[in-house]
Amino acid sequence: MTSISANNKSPKKIPTFLLPWLDVLAIGTWGILMIKYWLTGKLYLLIHPDFFWLVIAGGFGLLALSVFKTVELLSQLKKKPSNLPAPNVQHLSVFPPGIGSSLLLITALLGLAIEPQVFSSQTALDRGITDFVSLTRSQPQSFRSNTRPEDRSIIDWVRTLNVYPEPDAYTGQKVKVQGFVIHPPNYSEEYIIIARFILTCCAADAYPVGLPVKLAQNRSAYPSDTWLEIEGEMITTNLGNKRQLTIEAQTLTNIPKPKNPYDY
Amino acid sequence: MNQINQAFTIFLSLLVEAIPFLLLGVLFSGLLLLFVDEAKLVKMMPRNPFLGALAGSSIGFLFPVCECGNVPVARRLLMQGVPAPVAIGFLLAAPTINPIVIWATWTAFREQPEIVVLRVVLSLTIATIIGCVFSAQADLRPVLQPALARAMPRYIPPGKKAIDSGETASMLLQSGTYLLGQPGAPLRLDSTMLQPNLIAANSAKKPLADKLRLLADNTIQELRELGAVLVIGSAIAAIIQVAAPRDFILSLGQGPVTSILAMMVLAAVVSICSTVDSFFALSFASVFTSGSLLAFLVFGPMIDLKGIGLMLFLFKKKAIIYLFALAAQLTFLFTLLINLHFS
Repeated sequence: MTSISANNKSPKKIPTFLLPWLDVLAIGTWGILMIKYWLTGKLYLLIHPDFFWLVIAGGFGLLALSVFKTVELLSQLKKKPSNLPAPNVQHLSVFPPGIGSSLLLITALLGLAIEPQVFSSQTALDRGITDFVSLTRSQPQSFRSNTRPEDRSIIDWVRTLNVYPEPDAYTGQKVKVQGFVIHPPNYSEEYIIIARFILTCCAADAYPVGLPVKLAQNRSAYPSDTWLEIEGEMITTNLGNKRQLTIEAQTLTNIPKPKNPYDY
Repeated sequence: MNQINQAFTIFLSLLVEAIPFLLLGVLFSGLLLLFVDEAKLVKMMPRNPFLGALAGSSIGFLFPVCECGNVPVARRLLMQGVPAPVAIGFLLAAPTINPIVIWATWTAFREQPEIVVLRVVLSLTIATIIGCVFSAQADLRPVLQPALARAMPRYIPPGKKAIDSGETASMLLQSGTYLLGQPGAPLRLDSTMLQPNLIAANSAKKPLADKLRLLADNTIQELRELGAVLVIGSAIAAIIQVAAPRDFILSLGQGPVTSILAMMVLAAVVSICSTVDSFFALSFASVFTSGSLLAFLVFGPMIDLKGIGLMLFLFKKKAIIYLFALAAQLTFLFTLLINLHFS
C-alpha cells in the first residue's frame, strides 16, 4: 500500500519518488513522438490519413496528461511532506515498478531516434508479387469509365482491371503513372513492374499493387526502388504464362520519392 | 537490415494506431470509475446467465472502445462484482458491438451489408454462448489473476442477500486494517480493495478538481501497464509478420476450410484494432471467402496476440486457453456454415 511505503522511510531498490517522473517522461515522450510524426509528415509512412486526427488528438492528449501531472508533482514538491495530499491509490500491476514506464520510454526514444522506412521492392516481393492484380478490394469504391485513362493512377488501373479483366480492352490507351521499380525475378530483362503500396489502415496491412512495364532497353538502367513517372500506351503481353495488361513505356522520368509514398 | 527496418516500421505503425484508442479506452474506464455508480450498473445486470451474457455483450454500445480499451473496463466491472457471464460477454463482444466499429465495418463493406450484419450477429451469439459456458463457474476468482481476485468483492451465492449480518461478522474474523465507515459495514483496507472502494465511496462528494486528479492518476497508471503490454504484443506481431511471409498465409486461403483457418491465424497474428480491422479485411475481400472474412472480423477482436497479452491482466493461463478454444471453435463452425451454405 502506498500510504505505508510513503511513511516508511526504509530504502528501496528504485527510488520511489522517481517513479511518477518516469511515468510523466514516458507518456510525454510518446505524445511528442506522435506530434513529431504528424509535423514531419512521417505519419504518412505509418498509417492511413483518415486516422491522422486520432493520432494528433492522442498525441496532444498524452502531452496534456504529462503536463498536468508535472504541474501536480511540482506543486507537491513545494509542500512539506506532512502536507502531502492523500497518496495515490494502489494499482494492480504485472510489471515491477518502473518497468512498464521504462519500456514505453525506450520505445518512444527509439521511435524518435530511428526514422520509419518506406517499404521497399524487396518487401513487395516478399509480400507476394505473383498476383498483384487480383489482390485488391473486390468492390471498387467508384468506377468511372469516363475517366481519362492517362489520369488513372496505378491503383485506379488495377481496380478498373478488377471490374473488367480483359487486357485487350485497354490496348492503345494512354498511361501516365508514378511508382517505384520492382525487378521480378521471373520476368525477362526488358520488363519491370511499376508499383505502389496500398494502405488500408496502417503499415501492418500495406500490400503492393503494380503493372508490368515493357522497356525498350535492359532494365539495369532503372534499379529497384527508383521512383519513376512512366508515360506510354497499354499493350497485352504474355508474362509468366499469363496474358497481362502491360505498359509499353515511351518516356521514363526519374522523380523524387513522394512525401506520401502510399496510395489508398 | 531491410527486414529489421520493416519490422520496426510495422511495430511503430501498430503502436501509433493503437495508442490513441488505448488512451480513449483508459479514459472511458476512468470516467466509469469516477462518474458512474458502477454498483448500480452492476446491480442492473441480470443474474440469469443467458440474459447476463447478452446484456454484457451489449453494454459495449456504451463504451466505444476496441479490444485494447475494453480490458480495463472489464477489469473494473469484475472488481465491482459483476456476474461472470456479463463480464465474459462484455470482454468478447464489446470490441465489436459498439457504434464506432459497426460504422467502420459499414464504411468498408457498404457493398456487402451482409458482412456487417453477420459480424454483429455472430459476435453477439458467440459471446453469449461462451458467457453461458462460463456461468458454470459462478465464482470466477479461481481462474482470475490473484491480484484481481483479491480486489473482487466476496462471492455471494445466488439467492443470498449481498449485505447481511453474516457477511460482516465473517469480516471481523479476518486480520487487516479497516476503515469504520457506516455502522456495521467496516471498509477493509486491503491493498487492492482500497482503490475501488475508496474512490467509489467518495466519488460523489469529491470536488471536480480532485476527481480530475484521480482521473489523471488512473489514466497514467493504466497507460503505463497496458501500454507496456501493447508494446510487447505489437513487437511480437511485427516480428511474426516479417518472419512468416504473408504470401504463405495467403496461399492457404482458397478452400472453404483453409481460408477460414488462415484468416483466423492472420487475425491472431496481426492483432489489428477492431475499430479499423474491417479495412484490413477489405484488402483480402477479393481472394478470400466471405466466411473467412467474417472469421477474421469476429475472431480477431475476441482473441489476438495483443489481446492475449492484455487478458493476462485478468485471467490465469488456463482460463485464457478455454476462452481461446471456445471462441476459435465457435467462430470456425459458424463461418464454415456460412461458407458451405450461403456462398
